[in-house]
Amino acid sequence: MAQWQEVQQLPPTHLERVHQLYTNAALPMTVRQSLADWIEDQDWQQAAEPFSSHARMLFHSLLTLLGEQLGSLGPGDEDFMLKHNLRKARIDLQAAFEEHPENFANLVANLLQEERCILRRAQAKGQVEATPAPSTASQSSQEQEIQQRLTEFRTALQEAERAFRHMEDLQDTFDFSYKMYYRPGQDHSHDPQYAQHIQALQAKLQSLDRQRREVVAQIQQLLGRSETLRDFLQQELSAWHERQQRSCLGAPTDTCLLQLQGWFTALGEGLFQLLQLLRAVGELRQKVTYEQDPLQSELPLLEKRLQEQLTCLLQSAFVVEQQPCMPNTPKRPLVLRTANIHIDRDPPKTRGFRKFNILTSSSKTVLVGDSPREGLVCDFQYLTLKEQKGGGSGKGSRGTNEGPLAVTEELHLITFTLAYAYCGLELKLETSTLPFVIISNNNQLSSAWASVLWFNMLSPNPKDQQFFTTPPPAPWPRLAEVLSWQFQSTAERGLSREHLHMLAEKLFGSKPPPDSALPWTKFSKDGAAGFSFWAWLDGILALLHDHLKQLWKDGLILGFVSRKQEKKLLKVKRSGTFLIRFSESVLGGVTCTWVEHPESGPPAFRAVVPYTAAELASLALPDIIRDYQLLAEENIPENPLLFLYPDVARDEAFGPYYSQRQEGILTKKKEYLNQRLIRVSSRQPHETWQTQEELVMTTEDLETLRLNSGGQQPVSPGTVPGGDRTPGTPQAVSPGLQQAVAAGLGMQQPGSQIPVLPSPQQLGSGSLGVLQTGMGDLGLPVVLQVVQVGPGGQGVLPIGGGAVGPLLGSGTAELLLGNGAAELLPSGLGDLEGLPLQEPELEVGAGQLEATELLPTLDDSAVLLDPSDPFLPQSEDVALPATASLFTADGDFPPLHIDASDFQ
Amino acid sequence: MRPRGKAEGRPWLRELEVPREPVGNLIDCLSLRRAAAAGLCPSVIVHAMLLMSHRGGHQESKKKLEISPSETMKAEEENYKEEAKEPKSEDWRPPSVFGAADLKNRAVGLYNIGQTCCLNSLLQVFLMNIHFTKILRRISVPVCATQKKKNVPYQMLLLLEKMQCGKQKAVSPRELVLCLEAHRVTMFVQYDAAQLFLTLWNLLKKQMKNPELVEKLSDLYTISVQEHLACQICSSETKRNSSMLSLPVPLLDSDSSMLKTLEKCLQCFFRPEELTGHNMCFCEHCGKKTPFQQSVKLVHLPQTLTIHLKRFCFGRSAYIHKISNCLPFPQDLDFNAVLTEQQCQAYDNEKAAWKYELFAVVAHSGTTSYGHYCAYIRSLTECKWYCFNDSFVEQVSWDDVKSTYGHSDLYWGQTAYLLFYMKKQPQ
Repeated sequence: MAQWQEVQQLPPTHLERVHQLYTNAALPMTVRQSLADWIEDQDWQQAAEPFSSHARMLFHSLLTLLGEQLGSLGPGDEDFMLKHNLRKARIDLQAAFEEHPENFANLVANLLQEERCILRRAQAKGQVEATPAPSTASQSSQEQEIQQRLTEFRTALQEAERAFRHMEDLQDTFDFSYKMYYRPGQDHSHDPQYAQHIQALQAKLQSLDRQRREVVAQIQQLLGRSETLRDFLQQELSAWHERQQRSCLGAPTDTCLLQLQGWFTALGEGLFQLLQLLRAVGELRQKVTYEQDPLQSELPLLEKRLQEQLTCLLQSAFVVEQQPCMPNTPKRPLVLRTANIHIDRDPPKTRGFRKFNILTSSSKTVLVGDSPREGLVCDFQYLTLKEQKGGGSGKGSRGTNEGPLAVTEELHLITFTLAYAYCGLELKLETSTLPFVIISNNNQLSSAWASVLWFNMLSPNPKDQQFFTTPPPAPWPRLAEVLSWQFQSTAERGLSREHLHMLAEKLFGSKPPPDSALPWTKFSKDGAAGFSFWAWLDGILALLHDHLKQLWKDGLILGFVSRKQEKKLLKVKRSGTFLIRFSESVLGGVTCTWVEHPESGPPAFRAVVPYTAAELASLALPDIIRDYQLLAEENIPENPLLFLYPDVARDEAFGPYYSQRQEGILTKKKEYLNQRLIRVSSRQPHETWQTQEELVMTTEDLETLRLNSGGQQPVSPGTVPGGDRTPGTPQAVSPGLQQAVAAGLGMQQPGSQIPVLPSPQQLGSGSLGVLQTGMGDLGLPVVLQVVQVGPGGQGVLPIGGGAVGPLLGSGTAELLLGNGAAELLPSGLGDLEGLPLQEPELEVGAGQLEATELLPTLDDSAVLLDPSDPFLPQSEDVALPATASLFTADGDFPPLHIDASDFQ
Repeated sequence: MRPRGKAEGRPWLRELEVPREPVGNLIDCLSLRRAAAAGLCPSVIVHAMLLMSHRGGHQESKKKLEISPSETMKAEEENYKEEAKEPKSEDWRPPSVFGAADLKNRAVGLYNIGQTCCLNSLLQVFLMNIHFTKILRRISVPVCATQKKKNVPYQMLLLLEKMQCGKQKAVSPRELVLCLEAHRVTMFVQYDAAQLFLTLWNLLKKQMKNPELVEKLSDLYTISVQEHLACQICSSETKRNSSMLSLPVPLLDSDSSMLKTLEKCLQCFFRPEELTGHNMCFCEHCGKKTPFQQSVKLVHLPQTLTIHLKRFCFGRSAYIHKISNCLPFPQDLDFNAVLTEQQCQAYDNEKAAWKYELFAVVAHSGTTSYGHYCAYIRSLTECKWYCFNDSFVEQVSWDDVKSTYGHSDLYWGQTAYLLFYMKKQPQ
């Protein structure tokens, strides 16, 4: 809207000021009104400068325009007064300013400025009234500030360009006159005209000089403002870096670069424009210069300052938008796995990580078009990491590190460099990824991820590769937040305050001080239970991710509840109320605890031995809960789980999650009977509260299963259920299977691919490798049955291929052997604490299937597991002799075949 | 840069209004050069930072106090008296007649008439200080025109009038520059702002005839401290009161590591220092050179407090380099929170008044050899920040002022060099 229109719409108080302004002004308001648009369009400020020819031109244009206005007015009454006023104004103005039109220009310029001032004040007041509470976050006010400053910067830049053009005109005029009139060496003492010319020339030069200084001052000012702007952008960028780091850790934050990109581009454009302006100014100086030319002394400074700002801006604008990440673990970026062992060409200790792309070229060309708005994005996909191997260089590089860091504590960086050339500005830009961990095997993923968490949570320097030489402890509030993100990103539900409280108590004891901090070793290495805190949590995370995502997301799993707390919660509930919580003693275990109120005595609490991924793979938790049976000798088997804590009927809570029962299709000729898995616990009537978890395979149709609680010998299942492989067919994902092997092997398999070198990881050239995990296509062997052998069951069960694995667990030995495959089931010793096993039990679900057809074979690359793997019992518990032979047998893992008759 | 020699006449720009001289000569002086100007850069006098570089080096004792001056100007005084020549009409505009609004407090720029950005910045700092202008307005006008021409306070007053009455966005400080030249303050060279500030202030003080005003001026700007020298052997102590125009605070501590905030710098300045080894002093009581402890105690702080950030230091070689690292300074500064009891030598009512808020920042961009000055000043009447970049004046925000904290990676960026704090009005 035009200024004058705005002025007229001002509220009365402010309008009063406008009237005051014009009361004494030599420019009558009539003139202002009738030539409003034209007046606002002219550059009066410029004209107000001394020696300006512009002023005279403007003044006379105004008079002419007034004349035209007079002519166009009709003969009406209203027009009559207006006509009179305009005519009078015209005569007055002419009389007052004919001699000094620049005074007139000055006057108008000031009036316009005052008007703007009044407008601003009115607006400011209006805004204060309009926004009573600035409830919008400070974030957005910062954004507004940046936006506003960018606009101001652009306006100021335009003004500078206008000033530059004016200077150009002045210079041309001067140059022309100089060539025309300046005749040195001749005798002009008799030529009064010559003296006049020279004087005029001098005046022109002076105004040129003034204009030059003006332009210089203007550019100085612009540079000052852009510094502030750059500061702001820098702040925003570091906030973004922080957000990115957090989002790498799983925090739900926005890492969109679009707005930042817009800002950086706008400022960059502006600065480049300024650079071009500076160069144009430099060209003008080349044409005309003189003693004390301001351009001579100031231009180099200006250009240096500008270039420095540009360099800084561009340098910070080069970022890694997406941190490196393996394709199949998108939730855990910054852990990479080497593909192959290769000899690297890069000397150690350089940062020269090679970058490679699918085009077999190590570089990509990014072109700046005329519209850099689209952004310069370079996508390096399919990088293959190849490890530098052997040679003195490898060892040397390792040796330069202080102390041997564990593989998963070695941090690596990929540095991208960009040769930037635009508008004559050539820069070498550099940016690095966040440090990442290179593992040689997927079983290191968990501990590698722990390192990544710790680093990004605590490192003040995002490039500190030596971080783990002295890792600082993590303050609990910070750690709690990060842990919550893990659950958020894995299972879409973070940790509640109660959860975190339980974890804090677990780590720091009851009533932890608010400033407690957890040292790195306690987090990732030591643990009273034989595994570290992180291993335990990660086990739960894996379990959640694989089997319990939906239940966790919907809040059906109470999860982190201590035993004490659990009793407190259930005590006041009716019999049959149960809750689901994570086992504290078993890696990746989940268990149900329910309460029973006997007729007399205190309420009793029972919990089943934790289910781990192995069991849940064959049977989902909701189904377990639905079909759970407690067997006591004298009773009909019953499901004790009636109400989900706090008070929801079981089927109501879990109904939506039950899997469809496979009904037999009667029309089809049945070759086999249907079968279904349920979980059963048994208890002696006389024994008090002991629970034991069993895995039983049974058939649905033939509920003939009888468990002999005496347990010395398995009750024959009677009929061996045949049946189609229905969806209910147990398909155990058996990480345990692999882990068992790995644990025995340890890490030092000959020819294993543990990176030796901390820094030079070559990204393999030419090869189009994806960062493979080596696990993606790993077939999952099926474990048909789990056999538990009580301590009494002196159980070496010679089956099949002859490899033997004694088992673990306190007193319980479990053994499962197929032809060379063993599965270890950690027995829940923790959960059973205080519940001594009185009677060994041996239960065998019998169900013989055509195992071979069920069992995909293992890929030849068996996965090695880190001892700290969550699924794995600690190695000291494992006594797997001669596992190497077990492992190397064939690579194939033949089916696990257990025949019930073996136990007879 | 120094213009051609005096014999030849002053640089052309200022000659213009001297129509007696042959005009043809002037154009000759233009030395119009075409297309080949690049190599002909006139030498820049690296006068600049020498003053502080004396004391900027960390190897030196930091506390050779800059005693407020007055001696330096003796020579000028003689010259000053023997002036008697034909008057010259003042060139400033009479207050314009068509005044529309009251622009008295609006910030007005000063044209750079050749390397005068340093002077311009300081003038703005002086003239935006209403406590100073109150004094300035009371000066007595010299009688004869020559004296008028040579009187710095009078010329400053004229300039102030010109800035406030003219409706221009900027005015030229030409007369004042000529006046300063007459006092051997060579203009059109790169100046160190701290040095020029001292020179200007001394000239002002010298030429204000009224002793009452002189006292007021001193009260407004001078800091009183007490120097203590204590022999570490016999514990004899010598004290000396001195006054300073600015607190020259170091940016590096005794270990040459960067100080993080202005408060830390001030603490470092007032920290006692052991004089041992080469620096030992002769003790009269002991009769030999003994180790001494040297300390400075703060006695009095003026209304307008000037802090000089010693942003320059010697590198390993004789080369002086600029410290462009970030040094945040607060808007509100309470000396009671900065200094300990031992570092003050003042009564409680004096100390109670040691609460300051930032009034102006003179910022420098560039290197020691050449650069640019501008001033950020908070208008005392409107309480808004302005940036004075020669003829360009712009209202800015505190964030813009903060951009003069400095950056370790911006060598050419703006860095605060002189800080002016204003005593807060007691509630």
